[in-house]
Amino acid sequence: MKHSKRKLLVMFGIVVTGYLFIMVFPFLWIFITSFKTSGEIFGTGAFNVIPEDPTLKNYAVILFEKGILRAIINSFVVAISTTIYVIVVASLCAYAISRFHFKGKSILLGLVLAVSMFPQMIITGPVYNLFYDLGWLNSYFVILPYSTITLPMAVWILVTHFNQIPLALEESAKIDGATRIQTLTKIVFPLAAPGVFTTAIITFIAAWNEFLLTITLNTESNFHTVPVAISFLRDQFSILWGEVAAATTIVTIPTLIIVLIFQKQIVSGLTSGGVKE
Amino acid sequence: MKQKLGFSGWLYLLPTLVLIGIFSLWPVVQSVTYTLFDYKLNDQQKAGLYLNERFNTDLFNETALYINLFLSEDVANITENEDRLKVEENLQQVETVANSYTDSTGVIVISKEERTDITTLYENTKELIEDLNTKYSLTHADSLPLLVEDFNKSIIPSNFIGLQAYKDALGDNRVHTALWNTILFTVVSVAIELVLGLGLALILNKAMFGQGLVRTTSLIPWAIPTAVAALMWSYLYDGTSGIVAHFFENLGLISQSQDLLLSQGGAMVSTILADVWKTTPYMALLLLAGLQNIPGSLYEAASIDGASKFKSFFTITLPLLKSSILVALLFRTLDAFRVFDLIFVLTGGGPGGATETMSIYAYKTMFGQTNFGYGSVVVMIMFVCVAIIAIIFVRLLGTNLLDRD
Repeated sequence: MKHSKRKLLVMFGIVVTGYLFIMVFPFLWIFITSFKTSGEIFGTGAFNVIPEDPTLKNYAVILFEKGILRAIINSFVVAISTTIYVIVVASLCAYAISRFHFKGKSILLGLVLAVSMFPQMIITGPVYNLFYDLGWLNSYFVILPYSTITLPMAVWILVTHFNQIPLALEESAKIDGATRIQTLTKIVFPLAAPGVFTTAIITFIAAWNEFLLTITLNTESNFHTVPVAISFLRDQFSILWGEVAAATTIVTIPTLIIVLIFQKQIVSGLTSGGVKE
Repeated sequence: MKQKLGFSGWLYLLPTLVLIGIFSLWPVVQSVTYTLFDYKLNDQQKAGLYLNERFNTDLFNETALYINLFLSEDVANITENEDRLKVEENLQQVETVANSYTDSTGVIVISKEERTDITTLYENTKELIEDLNTKYSLTHADSLPLLVEDFNKSIIPSNFIGLQAYKDALGDNRVHTALWNTILFTVVSVAIELVLGLGLALILNKAMFGQGLVRTTSLIPWAIPTAVAALMWSYLYDGTSGIVAHFFENLGLISQSQDLLLSQGGAMVSTILADVWKTTPYMALLLLAGLQNIPGSLYEAASIDGASKFKSFFTITLPLLKSSILVALLFRTLDAFRVFDLIFVLTGGGPGGATETMSIYAYKTMFGQTNFGYGSVVVMIMFVCVAIIAIIFVRLLGTNLLDRD
């Protein structure tokens, strides 16, 4: 009995270590490569674990010549503004769904779910034409169609969270003479804050990672976000892996920080999107 | 007791409805419309949705201006008085017709009479120019016949084609290949992710230590942009400097490291592996949450009744995990079916279309060739497939997915 338990523990250790290695290795290798010179990457030193002649040149080129900073700023602008407006809009909608009876509620929920399943490609053509007509191509207006990706998900997660807040609290607030808006801001919001925060983080990550809409609507490099700017580092004729590695390292940092700080909220957001327990 | 939503309550829903209406539903309707037209942005006569015949006033006005200019210049080359008069007469006619459109721009709808005027003008001018070209040597002998054709091209025929594009797509080999690639990619990667994810979740659920570390590590591949992950893998897979390609070559899985991204099978395997790397952790986290909801007392009861570990997995774990698995599968299957960034950055659909999925083909048709009509047909086929997948899963899940009361 004891023997088999130890064997299980060893097996568990091996599997987990192997898993962690596979998950971390690509990042580690990219990090190492970012300090190598082109000569080393394309020469015999390609597989060296420790760079022969460590250099910061790749970082300098990426930051000061290739404009990755501009892309990072764009990404922050786009992701933060998307998060703010989506959270406001989705909170109102989720509150109504969770607290009121109305005709067509299941149709609305079905619609929200269906939109989250749309292939994004289906909206790009018409939205491209719309933006062309309005003169909105190459602008931050790209955050508006981001709602297709983020809004249904946000509504869905928020409804789950709002449903967990007992109705009795609001009823007593109402008896005490609070208006509906007061109830929302004074009672529901503080209680719903963790859920709203979770939703905000998931929305932020989704907006940060968006690719298709930006690459089709914002073709000018001034408006490229991180994922799009990164994809343009690899053109057909030359691939400077050192620079690619440095850029990847830099743009992974914001994500890494968010994950490290907010991992509890992320996991709760991911799992509450599913079925009711 | 829940209240009924009053009139002012609908204001809560309004912003969501407006956003979804403008940026999700209207584009879908619009895309369906595109599929019924031969709609190409780079072709003057097809750059709009023309159910009926239209008239391009910009092209017409420009042509009228040049015809006037060129013919007036060539009057000097015409010796016979009779022909000179004819030219004068024609120029008069051009001016009369053109006068009615000087204030118009863009593409407009014209009446039958107006159309007849334009066609007559085109025919008369064409005849005159052919006639003059046989008799005299004009300065603009080459450009005039070409120019006069633009009168005809100003009249834009309807580009409504009904369901023809769907018919073409059904016979299009590239659509067949793209659909097959998409299905292959989806089925294989989701299957691998489910098995690995479930295994990982089972192990983590039993874990006495390391859960936190594994959870943090698992979130990173999920959280980084797919384009960034794809670029990272394209380096690891690279034929000359890629360590993974080098490793596979040493293992004997591939004969030379270049084969990984440059051979047809290798490229597909590479994209699937990259996808498995990025999304298995996500799958595991979803399933782990499901596992943690199963009460431990059930397993204790089962073991008292003498059930083996194996048996309790199939009789307790799987049935109780069913809805978690289905939800995870639903979201993953749809994501995999819509795959774009990963393949776009990693292989671009190559080599030779070996990894071209429906999204990639649609993107290339719409934004590479600016053929919005046919591109929308490809998207629509994908849309129908996604709808079928969603309906199957929602049926399997029963009603509890939509039950939010």
